[in-house]
Amino acid sequence: MRWTGNIRFLLLAPAVIWVLAFTVFPLGYSLYLAFYKIEQKVEVKREKQPMLDAAGKPMLDDSGQPRTKNVVIKDQVNSATFIGLDNFKRLFGDPQVKEAIRVTLLFVLIAVPLELVFGFLLAVLCNQHIFGRPVLRAVMILPIFATPLAVGYTFFTIFYEVGGPLAWTGIPFLSNPNGALASVILVDIWQWTPFCFLVFLAALQGVPEELYEAARVDGASPWDMLKEVMLPLLIPTIVLVLLLRMAEALKLFDIPFAMTGGGPGVATQPFSLLAFRTGLRFFDLGYASAMAYALLIVVMVVITLFFRRLRVSYG
Amino acid sequence: MADRIPGSKRGWGEVIASLIAITVALIFAFPIYWAFSQSLRNPIDTYTVAGLGVPWINFTPTLNNWIDQLGTPETVQALYNSTVIAISAALLALALGTPAAYAIARFRFERWKNRDITVWFLSQRVLPPVATVIPFYLTMRYLGLLDTKFALVLINATFVLPYVVVILRQTFLDLPVELEEAALIDGAGHWGAFWRIALPLAAPSMAAAGLIIFAFTWNEFLFAVSIGSNTAITVPVHIAGAIDTRGVQFWFMGVRAMTAIIPPVIIALIAQRYIVRGLTLGAVRG
Repeated sequence: MRWTGNIRFLLLAPAVIWVLAFTVFPLGYSLYLAFYKIEQKVEVKREKQPMLDAAGKPMLDDSGQPRTKNVVIKDQVNSATFIGLDNFKRLFGDPQVKEAIRVTLLFVLIAVPLELVFGFLLAVLCNQHIFGRPVLRAVMILPIFATPLAVGYTFFTIFYEVGGPLAWTGIPFLSNPNGALASVILVDIWQWTPFCFLVFLAALQGVPEELYEAARVDGASPWDMLKEVMLPLLIPTIVLVLLLRMAEALKLFDIPFAMTGGGPGVATQPFSLLAFRTGLRFFDLGYASAMAYALLIVVMVVITLFFRRLRVSYG
Repeated sequence: MADRIPGSKRGWGEVIASLIAITVALIFAFPIYWAFSQSLRNPIDTYTVAGLGVPWINFTPTLNNWIDQLGTPETVQALYNSTVIAISAALLALALGTPAAYAIARFRFERWKNRDITVWFLSQRVLPPVATVIPFYLTMRYLGLLDTKFALVLINATFVLPYVVVILRQTFLDLPVELEEAALIDGAGHWGAFWRIALPLAAPSMAAAGLIIFAFTWNEFLFAVSIGSNTAITVPVHIAGAIDTRGVQFWFMGVRAMTAIIPPVIIALIAQRYIVRGLTLGAVRG
């Protein structure tokens, strides 16, 4: 049942125009910036200006000449010079970029699979009649919706190495580069395992009872049940969750911003944080736009994989 | 619900599974509990509290931090800003997204097929925000809208719009089309069928979508910290400011973290039924 009245365009237009205006336009503008070197300088000039009296007339000195004063004029000058692909070339030689890519990749490749595995195991565990399930389900909603920035600061106090609740372990949670990256990964696992868990649990509960029955009649052990019934049925959901998590993980920003500030040094500075700082803290806007585009291209690759999958779901 | 794995033994296996589930729940609840525990401590107790920091057992709790923090004009301002921005962005996104969702669910588009349009909306969600933050910053500076709530409403409405489109598209698909057809036969027209029949039926879903996107806007940080600096600071930006200006005051940090976390979490618990669908952009039914 699909109507074709022309009102469909009227209903759709506001949202489409809105998205074009607020994402496609900025993306185009950003691409333009990526080819320029943008500098914000304050130019200081000194000028002699005649002094005026209260009535607005030039004041004269004893010899009858107009009196002057030295005035300092500060002008903010924004200059944009076209430099072609130089910003993109600069990306390849920049050690900070290299480090940010390493951090982002390690983060995505370690945190996301662990979240999926823990989430899946928990979901399988809770897919039976146990008294802990309602409690766990309710608690698991907390991390997903807890403000990431507040989470980052809370974990900062938990990982605090002098007098924090985990100080007795002697683990350098924040002061050691590898420890700090592990801590960021740990917080992400805390925040997003629940998401994987809830989605997998929902998918498992959608599996018809008869399939389990049939498998049991065939004499399947719980392990066979997991491997032969649950896992194959959940593959589409697993792929979906994997791609959603990867797309989100590539955007990592809030947690390291709050918990480590990207440090020690730049050991936990992901790509988003580097681009943000380059653009909006050091105002190297052209270079930052090139960085943002590089990230965009990587995400596009993920999205393309993701949409093949999604188009099936929205058919 | 019945035993979902008929092969598994009842009894000890179930008890152990339940115990694991509860242990996991405790681990996942701990950080939020810790922030709360910290918010109740006198500064002198911050680093010296033993064990799990249970109020009354490990230390004498105080409400002074809460009274102090909630009494400062900056906190009140941040809470007010965040509430206004999140409500406005949610309403704006619902107003823009609901008709679009209805169009995709009920009408046929030819050149770009319906699912292409849906996927196009979704792609906005997967976009890295850092790619748009710089041009958005420059545009807002050009328009003189830096540090205004208005700018943050515009950008947040854009980012949550895909959720509205995708969640409500599914809602409209689930509604029986016969009611709208009857209205069309009675001469109501497509707009009448949408406005008077479909929209009231979709109201619960709209409310749930509104709550979820309120929470997302409330939690948003990158744009908030880029656009707002003085007057338009939101709750997360307010938290971030605490560490720069005064060093780490764990007791105040606890209060601020709790004030940030409580509203979106309560909202999520209210809209629990819709969360899985919302977070998977409609692909998995919760």
